[in-house]
Amino acid sequence: MDFGFSEEQQILRDSAHGFLGKECPSKFVREMASDEKGYTPELWKKMSELGWMGILFPEKYGGYEGNFLDLAVLLYEMGYVCLPGPYFSTIVHGAMTILEAGNEEQKSEILPRVANGEELLTLAWTETGASYTPQGISLKAELDNGDFVLNGMKLFVPDAHVADKIICVARTGEPSGDYEQGLSLFIVGRKDPGVSVDLHNTIAGDRQCAVNLDQVRVPRRNLLGKIEMGWSVLNAVLQKASVAKCAQMIGCGQRAMDLAVPYLKEREQFGRPVGSFQAVKHHCANMLTLLETSRFITFEAAWRISEGLSFEMEASMCKAWVSDSCRQLVALAHQVMGGIGFMEEHDLHLYFRQAKAGELVFGDGRFHRELVAQQMGL
Amino acid sequence: MEFQFKKEESDLIARVREFIKENVTPEIVEETHQLGGVFGGIEARRFIKKLAVNGWLTPAWPKEYGGLDSSEMITYMIRDEMAYFELPLYFVGAYNAGPMILRDGSEEMKNEFLLPIARGEIEFALGYTEPQAGSDLAALNIRAEDKGDHFLVNGQKTFNTHTHVADYHWLAARTSFDGPKHKGISIMIVDLKSPGITIRPLITMAGWRTNEVYYDDVIVPKKNLMGEKNKGFYYLMGALDFERMFPPSAYKRLFEEIVDYAKKTFVNGQALSKDPLIRQRLAQMAIELEASRLLYYQLAYMLDREMIPNYQSSMEKMFATEVAQRICNTGMEVLGLYGQLKKGDQWAPLAGKVEFFYRSSIVETIYAGTSEIQRNIIAERGLGLPRG
Repeated sequence: MDFGFSEEQQILRDSAHGFLGKECPSKFVREMASDEKGYTPELWKKMSELGWMGILFPEKYGGYEGNFLDLAVLLYEMGYVCLPGPYFSTIVHGAMTILEAGNEEQKSEILPRVANGEELLTLAWTETGASYTPQGISLKAELDNGDFVLNGMKLFVPDAHVADKIICVARTGEPSGDYEQGLSLFIVGRKDPGVSVDLHNTIAGDRQCAVNLDQVRVPRRNLLGKIEMGWSVLNAVLQKASVAKCAQMIGCGQRAMDLAVPYLKEREQFGRPVGSFQAVKHHCANMLTLLETSRFITFEAAWRISEGLSFEMEASMCKAWVSDSCRQLVALAHQVMGGIGFMEEHDLHLYFRQAKAGELVFGDGRFHRELVAQQMGL
Repeated sequence: MEFQFKKEESDLIARVREFIKENVTPEIVEETHQLGGVFGGIEARRFIKKLAVNGWLTPAWPKEYGGLDSSEMITYMIRDEMAYFELPLYFVGAYNAGPMILRDGSEEMKNEFLLPIARGEIEFALGYTEPQAGSDLAALNIRAEDKGDHFLVNGQKTFNTHTHVADYHWLAARTSFDGPKHKGISIMIVDLKSPGITIRPLITMAGWRTNEVYYDDVIVPKKNLMGEKNKGFYYLMGALDFERMFPPSAYKRLFEEIVDYAKKTFVNGQALSKDPLIRQRLAQMAIELEASRLLYYQLAYMLDREMIPNYQSSMEKMFATEVAQRICNTGMEVLGLYGQLKKGDQWAPLAGKVEFFYRSSIVETIYAGTSEIQRNIIAERGLGLPRG
């Protein structure tokens, strides 16, 4: 068992930490919360020049040929600064799905453009049922003259308002007893006729969208993966994306601690630092415990994905634990920071919001505990 | 980064597992429960002597002292494997006194005690706590007067679990009343058969006993002083970083049996394991056990790289013992009314195990540093927060 980073991972961490510390101060995070796009093309370009878009891609698609652990390291640093923008949606929701399911033509057409920073992607999965289970999908895709025609509504689609391509999960087969059958994935252009995108207004200020598909025509070449075999792709994406989100969340948790702890050493009441009171210390000890257990459980899952080992159990354990832990950690950080941490101009609430968004996407603690229960054979 | 054991580690633990399966008996398990998990009973000694022949009791020790020159990782793996099979958890000789002797004991002391410890032939009991000195260990008062070629010891210890089945007392005594309290403490090895020692049982709510130990003019030869006089507190504190851990599999078997019970028990035509609330609880416990496991092996990883786990061991002990209690509570939730039935009641599921561990687990967050003390350590040494 080895709990340390490799030298390369350490270099990636340090350089990402330095870069993002400079490029993404909290002022930028706040500006982007009211920016129309939610990101700047300038920063996006810089990130693509660093090779971050292609971190997972094979070299022939313009990638860095890194593994999932490298992505986790990067996402941790992004979570640390609360980086706004469509990186997670493009790379994890979008590109990872294309890597899982795409044919050679699709991969060589789309991935190099993503690696170059020229293309944004996202994945439209959840509907009004707000569920990541197959039962939650009723958006229809029907054959008409060789094309598929999509009709329905998707909610909570990240960055759909700026994505060039939206991968849509649709039901091509009749829903029978087994809802896992009959799901297919389609690559839809945001600007295709019939596609309309409206922004949600969310707690974290992240750009999630309602996407309405009204008679949207998709040629067969834009079917992603095998017809009716979408669920197995989605299941793998769910597990991996969950772990990726956890990597981001532990960065968020670390920052919450880095805001709270130094403050507790400085701030005095009753003639002594607030951090010298035992109740406060115990909250901090609990925070560190939540963070460390989250860190290890996330890197265990990420490592297993990197090594091509089975990871379903570990991924769900990870998402369940980190979803709850990050939320609890930031709540404790608020408690120990007192009044000042509750202020809008203080940065802690940015992490409070990010923690909630991270908890909810790809299944919260309850959802993943049920998956763990299934894995346990209960 | 790597989250699996090396092949040679897995191979070794497979052999240890085979050995345990072949040699563990219901009598050993029963004795372990009756002693509260401490080593020293007759059945356990018989078993451990056989296990120790392979060097498996103290694998990280040098070969000359009965070890395998192996790693802390292997040691931690073996300890956890033993915990899973409900063998004793607490080996003061092998995991507390022995390592301290190895680090700071005289050559004479090493030669006298290490091999017998490694062979499972002798056991020690910790002699730290007193009525007025629990978490505040430096407040201990038992007097060891320096008489030249021996110490004369008078005073009292309490909550000294283990003493009634151990051969030696690993005694922390006061050798100086001048200056700060923590600078006047020495550690010495006392033969528990020495004249003047009286051991009285204190029965715990779990049914197993701990002890009061009275010292009345007990003679302890100078050669039994561990390291330097008045340095005992430093040895002790230093050692805690290395010995504080709690094997996470100690309650794992119980958990598995609770899961099994939930799958097989039907209420209103449905297995308990189909109840969503029970599923959530059981999944949560499985997750917490995995988190404990990672915290535990992180310690071994650090120790093998000569990093000092100053807050990490506190975190592991605190977390793993609190998980243990949550597992017991989960067991009670799942068993409902049946949970209160003691072993021997014909209706008691799991041979009354849930009832027993529910009572016994109360002490886990108290002994070896309360959860409150551990949280103080995490905050102070882990985060640098100032002492009060």
